[in-house]
Amino acid sequence: MPRFDEYTGEHLIPPYRILDLTDRRAAFCGRLLADYGADVVKVEPPSGDPSRRLGPYPSDSSDPERSLDFLFYNTNKRSITLDLETESGRSLFRRLAADADVIVESFDRHYLYDHGIGFDALRTDNPGLIMASVTPFGNTGEWADYQGDDLVVMAASGYMQITGEPDEPPVRQGNEHSHYPAAQYAAVGILAALYHRDFGGGVGQHIDVSSQEALITYYTDAHPALLWRKLGQNVTRVGTNSTLVIPLGAYPCKDGWIAAGVITPREWDALAEWIHEVTGNDEVLSEVYRGGNQDRAEHIDIITALFLEFAENFTVQELFHEGQRRNLVFLPVNEIADLLADPQLAESGFWYDIEHDDSAIGAVKYPLGIFHSDDVKARSRPAPALGADNAAVYQGELGLTPSELATLKNDGII
Amino acid sequence: MTSVATDSPTTTPSALTGIRVVEFGPYVALPLTGRILGSLGAEVIKVETNKVLDEMAFIPAWSRGAGQPEYQRGKRRITLDVRTDAGRDLILEMVRISDVFMTNFRRNVLDRWGIDFPEIRRQRRDAIIMWQTGLGGHGPYYTYKSFGILVQHLSGVSLMTGLPDEPPGVVNTSYSDYHTGVFQPAGIIAALMRRNLTGKTATLESSIFKSGVATCGPALLDYQVNGRGPQRRGNRDAWAAPHGVYPCAPDPISGDADRYIAISIADDEQWAMFRKAAGDPEWASAPEYETRIGRQRNQDALDDAISVWTRPQKSEDVMQNLQQAGVPAGIVSQGADLNGSSHLNSRNFYQDTQYWEAERGVKATEWVEGESVSWSIPAKMSGTPIAFGNYSNIGQDNAYVFGELLGLTDAEIAELEEAEVIY
Repeated sequence: MPRFDEYTGEHLIPPYRILDLTDRRAAFCGRLLADYGADVVKVEPPSGDPSRRLGPYPSDSSDPERSLDFLFYNTNKRSITLDLETESGRSLFRRLAADADVIVESFDRHYLYDHGIGFDALRTDNPGLIMASVTPFGNTGEWADYQGDDLVVMAASGYMQITGEPDEPPVRQGNEHSHYPAAQYAAVGILAALYHRDFGGGVGQHIDVSSQEALITYYTDAHPALLWRKLGQNVTRVGTNSTLVIPLGAYPCKDGWIAAGVITPREWDALAEWIHEVTGNDEVLSEVYRGGNQDRAEHIDIITALFLEFAENFTVQELFHEGQRRNLVFLPVNEIADLLADPQLAESGFWYDIEHDDSAIGAVKYPLGIFHSDDVKARSRPAPALGADNAAVYQGELGLTPSELATLKNDGII
Repeated sequence: MTSVATDSPTTTPSALTGIRVVEFGPYVALPLTGRILGSLGAEVIKVETNKVLDEMAFIPAWSRGAGQPEYQRGKRRITLDVRTDAGRDLILEMVRISDVFMTNFRRNVLDRWGIDFPEIRRQRRDAIIMWQTGLGGHGPYYTYKSFGILVQHLSGVSLMTGLPDEPPGVVNTSYSDYHTGVFQPAGIIAALMRRNLTGKTATLESSIFKSGVATCGPALLDYQVNGRGPQRRGNRDAWAAPHGVYPCAPDPISGDADRYIAISIADDEQWAMFRKAAGDPEWASAPEYETRIGRQRNQDALDDAISVWTRPQKSEDVMQNLQQAGVPAGIVSQGADLNGSSHLNSRNFYQDTQYWEAERGVKATEWVEGESVSWSIPAKMSGTPIAFGNYSNIGQDNAYVFGELLGLTDAEIAELEEAEVIY
């Protein structure tokens, strides 16, 4: 069992040492582990993680310490710089890896091996080492060397095939959705491997996570492979509103969009009564529309018209709360501003306020409270400045002298 | 019994060997959490009843329940009506011999059944409790209902998808369920470590709403710092051009015309590789395309030109050609592509499985068996198995759980079946 002298369980994850060599396609893995307590050290090239050079920035003024992209994906991590392209850099990395619990990385699959710091080489000095590799298509197979970013992975997984309008080209989901599934599975694999090593008498191991595969599992309910096998059909885009279940989708109202899903016979009766109250239109009460959701499919045009005529009388919030009071699944179509003001999220222990010393950023809410608990809390430190922990790690842990560190800095290695 | 593959026999202990989990609740997210824990070696006991079947058992409608193995493989499935006194006592006995209790029922419902969280704690002081909710277990919306596919609107993502002035951009899946389903095993395994190290237990509450919002990304910061909402860019990107999907030739086998290739070019080096792979066509040598800024300024014309180039080609051919030149490109995969993918198949991503065709009003033991397919948990571990696991029908493991684990005799089990407690 590992010894963590200062760990009393304030945070969910013990302070395992994790070296994070990922780019933004997998940075969420280390973030999730760091938010919940792991000691995640981001190993950046001396020029900084490339996402530091991506915006958005405060007032659009480019500054590697102010990239909101970097700040989002790297909360609660520490930062050291190290040039893995040099032999002295790799030598330092081997020393760091010898004492690490976990390495998580997202290089092309040959990179670390070609540089003599692949999993097999590192584990000889550290049999307990766990390494997780997150790549677009995994470490094996004929696509293993193929390049991929958010768009390409979303396409190749088939996720785009079901996003957008039926008569238009596939669309990518606008939140760079592919950055999450593989990172989440990598975090699960890392924690399971640590559990096995420390509480199951095991040793270290390697974890291979394909972003394509991870994303395929995120639309299981569309059953792409199964539909092809059983019916010889491909899944397609259905657009903003379902053509089978009515209403199901997003509909315009007085000041925005309301999302509504009416599935059961009882829900339809409740909605029809409400529409009748508001519009006085007896048509909506007709027996032909009653029943389960498929029963209304042939009347889609009439029902949609009735629903739109009804919805335009209300604001989003009116429809949301009154709909829910009537036991209907009505939900607001939120913008980012709505989320930040949402009273439910505010009371769910979801937002963590992080105060940045940099006044151009100031106090910002981060969505770290994925698990709400009276027993544990997430941490709330901002993402690190580039190399902020060089002295603590290289001097404090590896025992380099200040002059050795200065030389390494001069040589551009740190 | 149809012939289906199962996991190869192995003596290697699994990562979570020795951990027992009680899974109590329907739908997608919670069962996915159970499946992940099961594939890692935990013994997951899923508590259901024939009296109130999970609606997911009837989905997809064209092959009722064929999708269930993807959520339910690798579990022990029992039938128990916890609304009866004997049923409540049995689920609590199960909690006593388990490490984790996870549920997505509302607290007032659990309370009514006598299995609320304080009672769980009384039965097993150190049980890890994972409580999954839709919109949240406390707070102003705690009674509100939600519905998987609509959470993408609630969580802000649909108004980040598509183009400005278009209706909310929708993906035809309840993907936030999956975020929740994969967050939860991370929380549970961490809580088990914490328990082992400190002796402290934990109750964790998740919600589908929060899991969705957590993935809105840097846009959350941009609004707070710069006071602006996200730009809806469709398939375009602030940092790359060309960046989009381009039409390809109809599928040679299915005749399907809905075929596209995604191409993403982040820098001028990749653009040079693209030009070479495309055979150095004259249109691509235009000076306005030389730099990324130039390509972004002239994206409409550039996209048109690329579409002319891709349209007669098979999407797979374009992908292979560009990838071999080092250019990020990917077909927009359809079910046929995924099912037949030699890449995925070489990684053993899919495996055949039996399933049982659900039928209303008929006990699960009478359902007809068929053949389906499920995917593997996408974290391939070199040292411990990631098992597909067997797929049990509802109630198939009653004898094991009630007999072997809880020590009931065959006669007692038969009596409880007769009384529709084990049912």
